[in-house]
Amino acid sequence: MRENSRSHKAQVVIDRMGKKLSRQMVGSLVGCVHCGLCTDSCHYVLANPEDPTFAPAYKADRIRRIFKHHYDWTGRFFPWWVKAGTVLTDAELEELKDIAFGKCTNCRRCSLNCPMGVDFATVNRMARGLLVSVGVMPEGVAHVSKDQWEIGNQMGVLKEDYLETLEWMSEELQDEVEDPAAVIPVDQHGCEVVYAINPREVKYDPRSIADAAKIFWAAGEDWTMASEGWDMTNFGLFSGDDDLGGAVARRLYEKVEELGGKRLVISECGHGFRSTRCEGPNWAKYDVGFRMESSIDTMLRYIAEGRIEVDKSRNSLPVTYHDSCNMARSCGVTEEPRELLRQVCADFREMHPNRAENFCCTGGGGAMSMSEYTAQRLTSAKVKAEQLRETGAAVVVTSCHNCVDGLTDLIRHYKLDMKVTQLVNLVAEALVIEERIPAVPAVEVAEVAVLTGRKIVVADDEPDQVIYLKSVLEDHGAEVHTAEDGDAALELSKRLKPDLLTLDLAMPGREVTEIFDILRGQSDLADLKICIITGRPEMRKLIYERMDAPPDGYLDKPVEEEELILAVRKILEIKVH
Amino acid sequence: MSDVLYFSEHTLQEIALVFMGLVYVLRIRWLLRFKASQERQPTGARDSRAPLKGILYSWANIAMPWSMESSRKHLWMYGQFVVFHLGVVASIGLSFIIPYAPSLLENGPLVLLLQVVIGVACFVGLLRVIRRVSSPHMRAISSPDDYFSLILLTVWFFFAFLAVPNDTSAGEWHLLAFFLLTAFFLVYVPFSKISHYLYYPFTRYYLGKSMGYRGVYPLHTGSKAKAV
Repeated sequence: MRENSRSHKAQVVIDRMGKKLSRQMVGSLVGCVHCGLCTDSCHYVLANPEDPTFAPAYKADRIRRIFKHHYDWTGRFFPWWVKAGTVLTDAELEELKDIAFGKCTNCRRCSLNCPMGVDFATVNRMARGLLVSVGVMPEGVAHVSKDQWEIGNQMGVLKEDYLETLEWMSEELQDEVEDPAAVIPVDQHGCEVVYAINPREVKYDPRSIADAAKIFWAAGEDWTMASEGWDMTNFGLFSGDDDLGGAVARRLYEKVEELGGKRLVISECGHGFRSTRCEGPNWAKYDVGFRMESSIDTMLRYIAEGRIEVDKSRNSLPVTYHDSCNMARSCGVTEEPRELLRQVCADFREMHPNRAENFCCTGGGGAMSMSEYTAQRLTSAKVKAEQLRETGAAVVVTSCHNCVDGLTDLIRHYKLDMKVTQLVNLVAEALVIEERIPAVPAVEVAEVAVLTGRKIVVADDEPDQVIYLKSVLEDHGAEVHTAEDGDAALELSKRLKPDLLTLDLAMPGREVTEIFDILRGQSDLADLKICIITGRPEMRKLIYERMDAPPDGYLDKPVEEEELILAVRKILEIKVH
Repeated sequence: MSDVLYFSEHTLQEIALVFMGLVYVLRIRWLLRFKASQERQPTGARDSRAPLKGILYSWANIAMPWSMESSRKHLWMYGQFVVFHLGVVASIGLSFIIPYAPSLLENGPLVLLLQVVIGVACFVGLLRVIRRVSSPHMRAISSPDDYFSLILLTVWFFFAFLAVPNDTSAGEWHLLAFFLLTAFFLVYVPFSKISHYLYYPFTRYYLGKSMGYRGVYPLHTGSKAKAV
């Protein structure tokens, strides 16, 4: 095909590349000597040693060839000599998409291992941005970006749901600490701290909001959360879309300034911290006038200042720490989490390699929203699984919500006996506030029959799982019916009109995603709440690639009792007083 | 010394050097045409913004094999890198010593030292050719320029090794070959991967600056946490 028959999208990509090129990027594009030293720094290569197409230099060359052909004289005059080439068709852009999004998590491990200082992650991000600008991207990336542009957060959490969750968590906190003043303040002006979170916390992990609130309360902090502009995540980092990155960051900065906050505290999220703290001011071209810190720094500061007291014996299980790529390799946060862990855990074990040399959780770079690459991602997770196994720890702690999801997936896939948690959960657990907490928390008494009068259908084909879920839910007062496949779940849902259906995705018979679509399409089941309880990461299609309303809740197997009841209560909006 | 050898050692080298310098000036101008990103970093608990430290660390990285896993894990490769580049320096030096300070080569130990360095570099060049040809991962990332540059350098080392004694008693062909190849290199290098040393300060500068601003460089290896 001749160059004059290049597709419109390919032409736009080439033209925009010229505008995106900075001196740093050009340095990285011309500086590679193909020495191959970056090769085994990449977890994709280590997990696929026979396939040279995973090598960082190879992947970078798919982008570099276009640059050379169009912007570098060697490639223009002697293209075959330096392997320069162009893109002509949309199919070639799709191939590039599979490399830029599917074969790299932008973890930057190869960048730090390149003797020449070639920053492949930055080049790859540029390629992603170019592809996104012409609409060539994984479907999940499109959905998440759209939500962040239009709704203001990347999980499409509506304002009322967010505020309800804060209210609910306030009530939980008040019950737990028996202090009516223990509330999550919203839109308070002139506070010392404005706390920004990841929407995943609202949707799937509200406990972390309550734990953070408990710590702020214990420290006597003057703090607030914002009713809008509260999302500190930024999909622009993953999609390479600087416009989105700038808009999201600006939204957050402006909100903090509007509230007159003196310090923005960013909850534990690797890409959120990097985007907000390090990249956002550059994307948004915004000179931030307040201080910014990770909640890790905040918690450490509270301990150092004696504002909170912690007892490490309350976290007695062996714990290891997974450094998030964005925190460690792109923001230099390596020692603070360790110092905190040593104060709140009795048995901390280092993972090797660690800090800036740690391996990616394999869910980074937005990989968790790209279900088409799940199999490839989980194969590459072999390296991380080995790292985790070798620690002998029962708990892996990470300061990143993406890592929580990525690690949870690989722990399940490689059948590791570990659970994932965050520093905020451990610090909250270790808090010493004995004089304010009664010996037997009233909330536990109230929870015994908290589901009384609720009808729940449990759909799962694993008898052990069914027995477990049924007994836990019945113990809390629910009326439980069971189904062993999707059709039975459908039939029971139509007949019994339950309040909630818990749905496993790997059941015999019809594809459960199809059952989900049918349920969502039934007008007489419009009020039916659905909670996915699954061991299949592919379920993220339902969250990120949805046509209809997403599930109301999502839990990873194995599910702990407290986690299950908390999720069910949140979905059914049951408050305990 | 024949007129041809004299021309190769002097006039040809000087022309080639001027050409290389000119192309390099153009190349750097081209590179500087691209905008350099600005760094805006807010204050925070982590006020370890040290771009200068980051830049210096980044530049020095190559001399600290312990600082990068890729060199730490592949010390054999790192050793090859050191010897190979010492060979380059020695051969370039030789291309100036022979025409402008030949008396230095009357010093036996210096001749021996140069021959050892260049000879080992030539051997390393051979190893590198074998690695590039035999490893599927290396083949996948190699362009004709990569093969050509490496083979040419190895051959250049070979003739440099022969040229070190600056002895024409057995003929001038080895000296002639060395200087013709040197002149060819001077003209070819700006268009090939060999010009990476021109880019090295830039790539490392910007990576170091960015990582310094973010507190990543110098890398932490387990020291106490920064003050909060």
